[in-house]
Amino acid sequence: MLELSMHILDIVQNSLAAGSTRVEIRIREDLPQDLLVIEVQDNGRGISDAMLPKVTDPFVTSRTTREVGLGLPLLKEAAERCGGCLEVYSEENRGTRVVARFRLDHFDRAPLGDMGETMGILIAGNPGVDFLYEHRVDARIYLLETEKMRQILGSIGLDDPSVLDFVRQDIQMGLKKIGAATFPKIMEVLR
Amino acid sequence: MKLKDLAERLGWELKTRSLTVEAEVKTGYASDLLSDVLANSIEGDLWVTRQTHLNIVAIAVMRDLSGILIASGAEPDPDTLEKAAEKMVPIFRTTLPTFEVVGLLYQLGITGKR
Repeated sequence: MLELSMHILDIVQNSLAAGSTRVEIRIREDLPQDLLVIEVQDNGRGISDAMLPKVTDPFVTSRTTREVGLGLPLLKEAAERCGGCLEVYSEENRGTRVVARFRLDHFDRAPLGDMGETMGILIAGNPGVDFLYEHRVDARIYLLETEKMRQILGSIGLDDPSVLDFVRQDIQMGLKKIGAATFPKIMEVLR
Repeated sequence: MKLKDLAERLGWELKTRSLTVEAEVKTGYASDLLSDVLANSIEGDLWVTRQTHLNIVAIAVMRDLSGILIASGAEPDPDTLEKAAEKMVPIFRTTLPTFEVVGLLYQLGITGKR
């Protein structure tokens, strides 16, 4: 996949397919450590102990054996390609936590992509699910919580088109403000 | 063949309109993995890729590539074009997928010889 936001969309869709009612997406950029961490935590059905070791094997991905698609194998490859790794923790009937680590400025680290668009699609497409999106760059934090939005919106649903616009813009501006690394900084070599 | 003539014959759009495209091209490289291009492209290559972000310009400058052809109709990011113009890296765009456009280039004598 060309952008990390596409990977995130894919992983969150696994969470939704597993019946999650709350999905938390946390992205952390640690500049001194040259580290980018993406964490998706849900409260879905979870993955059995027997299945857990197989979730990153692309050849176990038939619809008859499990529900998740190629999302995890591809994310694992994307992380490992740039000096990172993928960890999946799960407990049946409790939920699943996916942690992908990337070297922030590795040449092959995919650009972040449009998180505004991704979150907009997820929120507007699943108005009954609670989403949290937190993005940290060192000590600077951007946070979006649909629970809080619900309180402000009152009778307006999260699937209202104006909500999609708001989410998109709020994230795009918010990420700019905290200086989120949209893609690895390799232009430095040109200075 | 000159970049300009390749672009004209194969109907590519020149996205960096301010740049001249007189460079002579003999070889090319196709890959979407930046580290792979850094390791395996050679000076003067025309690079065919689906990547559109700013870093493609950095790679082209580092490896002295003659230009970048973005395949599958993808649009380069605005800051990519800005930096490409500044660093004099011509960027073209074709609606054809990589496989197709590389085939056409090969027919016109552009090889992947290393």
